[in-house]
Amino acid sequence: MVDLKVQIAPGVVLKNPVLTASGTFGYGREYAPYFDISKLGAIISKGLSLQPKTGNPGVRITETACGMLNAIGLENIGVERFLADELPILQELRATVIVNIFGNNQDEYAALAAKLDGVAGIAALEINISCPNVKAGGIQFGTDPRAAAKLVAAVRKKTSSPLITKLSPNVSDIVAVAKAVEEAGSDSLSLINTLLGMAVDLDRKRPVLGNVTGGLSGPAIKPIALCMVYQVARAVSIPVIGIGGIVSVRDALEFLLAGATAIEVGTASFINPRTAGEIVTGIENYLDDKGYNRVTDFIGSLAI
Amino acid sequence: MYLFNTEVIYKQKLSQDIYRLRLRATKDFCRAAAPGKFVMLGTDDSFFDPLLRRPFGICRWGENWFEVIIKVVGKGSCQLSGLEKGASVAVHGPLGNGYPKDELESEQKSLFLVAGGMGIASIASHLFSALDCNQSLTGTFLLYGAASYSELILLDELTAASALGLKMQTITDDGSCGCQGLVTQLLTNELQKHPQSQVFACGPEPMLRSVQKILQKAECDGFLSLENRMACGFGVCLGCVQTVLSKNSETGVEMAKVCTQGPVFPAQQVVF
Repeated sequence: MVDLKVQIAPGVVLKNPVLTASGTFGYGREYAPYFDISKLGAIISKGLSLQPKTGNPGVRITETACGMLNAIGLENIGVERFLADELPILQELRATVIVNIFGNNQDEYAALAAKLDGVAGIAALEINISCPNVKAGGIQFGTDPRAAAKLVAAVRKKTSSPLITKLSPNVSDIVAVAKAVEEAGSDSLSLINTLLGMAVDLDRKRPVLGNVTGGLSGPAIKPIALCMVYQVARAVSIPVIGIGGIVSVRDALEFLLAGATAIEVGTASFINPRTAGEIVTGIENYLDDKGYNRVTDFIGSLAI
Repeated sequence: MYLFNTEVIYKQKLSQDIYRLRLRATKDFCRAAAPGKFVMLGTDDSFFDPLLRRPFGICRWGENWFEVIIKVVGKGSCQLSGLEKGASVAVHGPLGNGYPKDELESEQKSLFLVAGGMGIASIASHLFSALDCNQSLTGTFLLYGAASYSELILLDELTAASALGLKMQTITDDGSCGCQGLVTQLLTNELQKHPQSQVFACGPEPMLRSVQKILQKAECDGFLSLENRMACGFGVCLGCVQTVLSKNSETGVEMAKVCTQGPVFPAQQVVF
């Protein structure tokens, strides 16, 4: 038996390093018919706001080479309904829950963090400062190290919950943003969110997406994600959670090798809903085959 | 719903770029199949390009197989339609709500099935379901339109349904089969002769918009089967949403997931 436990933040020890990326795993229960979601390190909820949000109109997704663009626009049921209707179901399913939060401005982020502070059944908060598909909030905080740090500090003041800050790759220096939010009190980092992208319908002479631009995900972005995880993991002393194009056990292991303490499975769950569960089993089998006793011995062991 | 890998057991070319694939399936899957439900299909050896699985209506099914109709329009449909007998396919389904069943069984009303182009794959699932169970189709009318004669598919099998009482009319954009025009013209005419009818329609969005208007004018009930783009098919990507009227929402409308709340919606609920 390989010990798969990883610590992603002070006091947050997960049974294994496999999480599900926000926005690709619904509120969690949608996947219960396909596998036992309590088997995962944690599930990360769809991004939640104080008020429900209807998201963007028009075409919201389109496939690209080895990837997809989305411009959902953070549609969600709002924090009240999540706490009333969804969290109890997740607790019944014995899932470890991390809640992804966003707001239109700093006060909304802080209010949301205060609301979720001390709520039983929530292991940590993931702060979304990196959604490319909304005008207010999201990425406006994620592209400037000072703005990101200010936001994280404001959230930090309002909650004792462990904080994960989800970073955007749409910046010139992701390491600078990572260091700034570490300094501001983030307990760990998750990266990368989607890359800003666009698709054009030549015949109609129009953008394919209703929102014109969208976020690129899937295997197409994996090399960029791996590189950023590698760079950030070397530069900070808090845990890094790797995200971006992970569709297989090998992909997940590559991120761990590059320095990620844990990983999030995203787009792959749309294609095969069981992917995240299969990656848990796959990591254990791989490490067992290679003679590892603990996943922590494998993490960051990339030979340079 | 079920997730499994299976194989192609039969393939048939129906027109220049339209194919029928018959896939092996478990008895449980086939028991869960119903008219208007769909599957997400993909191949395991695509190396993530195309990345996503593709939705197809379950057109016909037996004890341990089901069929889909695939028109080549892009990378995904090109790859799937290129599969030969014995090739491996990944299946997720049956998904979606399907057409309302009790509406079909009500015998007071005439039932008009309206298909535009590839919408026939969804609409025909009713007729095949009736054929395979030897149910009467008296009072059922099929109005089927396509761009031209070569795009009208499954005609032999649909004609076989006339033995159970089905009445069928075809229409083509170029007049190469049946009248020249749009299938919505047939619907307008028929609803004048048969007021109080029930209508199920599937086809391109402009056709469905038009059907919605015709139904409103004729004060008829109906259901539309939508074909929005989707990534997952089971309610998590939120890519396929359609604005629909909703009593539960303050704004009077909500974003409905076509994959799980549809693909079949009451016609007057859809906000195009």
